[in-house]
Amino acid sequence: MSVMRLGYVHARVTDLAEAKRHYGNTMGLYPMHEQPGQVYYKAWDEYDHHSLVLEEGGVGLVKLGYKVSDPADIDVYEKRAQRFGCLVERMSAGDNLEVGDGIRIVLPSDHVVELYHDMTLVGTEVGTHNPDVFPRHLVGVGAPRIDHALITAEDPGLIDRFFREVLDFYAAERVATSLDDDAQIIGSWLSTSNTPHDIAVIGGPNGKLHHFAFELTDWSEIKRAGGLFAMDDVPVDVGPTQHGITRGETIYYFDPSGNRNEVFSGGYTTFPDRPTVTWTVDQLAKGIFYISRELNERFTTVLT
Amino acid sequence: MKVQPGIDVELQDGETVLEGLYRHGYAYRTGCRRGGCGICKVDLVEGTVRYPTAVSPDVLGDDELASGTCLSCRAVPDDAVTIALRQEELRRNPWFAFADAAKARSAPPPWRAGGQPTPARVRGDDDR
Repeated sequence: MSVMRLGYVHARVTDLAEAKRHYGNTMGLYPMHEQPGQVYYKAWDEYDHHSLVLEEGGVGLVKLGYKVSDPADIDVYEKRAQRFGCLVERMSAGDNLEVGDGIRIVLPSDHVVELYHDMTLVGTEVGTHNPDVFPRHLVGVGAPRIDHALITAEDPGLIDRFFREVLDFYAAERVATSLDDDAQIIGSWLSTSNTPHDIAVIGGPNGKLHHFAFELTDWSEIKRAGGLFAMDDVPVDVGPTQHGITRGETIYYFDPSGNRNEVFSGGYTTFPDRPTVTWTVDQLAKGIFYISRELNERFTTVLT
Repeated sequence: MKVQPGIDVELQDGETVLEGLYRHGYAYRTGCRRGGCGICKVDLVEGTVRYPTAVSPDVLGDDELASGTCLSCRAVPDDAVTIALRQEELRRNPWFAFADAAKARSAPPPWRAGGQPTPARVRGDDDR
């Protein structure tokens, strides 16, 4: 029983045509379905129907979908989330296009997380029979996979506890006010897989999105993505650089509506029994941007 | 476009307030530069602007629009406008300032003054 991964990000964009240019042409995602005011994408190495839903009107996050490994998990997580004090409602198959039934949880931070077990299987772009190592005609960055999201919450410690106690995530890394047992959690990078984060939360207003990220294979792919951002006039926030937290390589940039995206590569392989790393606030800048050890104001203040 | 208290820059057709200022080497605190965060808001003191790209009402509401708030990364002036920054100072990139000063103090170099084009280097010019 477990939550396997971040399955989908559902975000708002001000202009769908511009968003399609960015996510389709620059990021190289595959459009899977389009209806008035909405478009559904998947990345090339993903095999479920979609991993990104864009909805026209406004900016920011609508919800995050996490896929569980067993249908019976839904009932267990539903009870636990209710006991935690969250508002939980059932969703039926078809409430979300190509997604089966499940639950919708409103976190104490007002973010909406959906758990589901079924999404229509469409296969990766290379298939399962003697597959090639990448699709022959990738477009732009050609991201293989969506990786994680960072959200903000007034009480990040509570969200850390929610993901651990209710959904069996483990904290790979945290930023805390001190190394003492009674320290306040300022930020937390939580995993339910072997990657250092499937969700991260940092102190800030409830209900807001800091960024969602696409995985790339390595550092040279990050640099190549940077070249494409220059060609396509994508505003870059920070990078290319390396994180102390997760050790991943990164560029942060904005989509045409001002939602922050990240391309992320590397990061260590981790397991639930790995001791949690703690960063103290005085070393926060080094934790986030290991090389420059500086946090720009835009990075810490721009949220959608 | 004028920026209070005393900056005057020429904008190109279709250029946003922020793009125009960046192009002239000016800077102030901005965020996403795509209309999503509202950090680059300024006051529109005179003139009118349009928004060719959709802007979320969460970022720029009707009441703000009516009271003269200008989202500088998305606002394109209709004609001459005057804006004022909010609790921010317009910073000038020192290299742009240096270039301005250089232009102001020197006459054009002689090979330009006479309208003669700079001699083009051709391959093999510098036989060694």
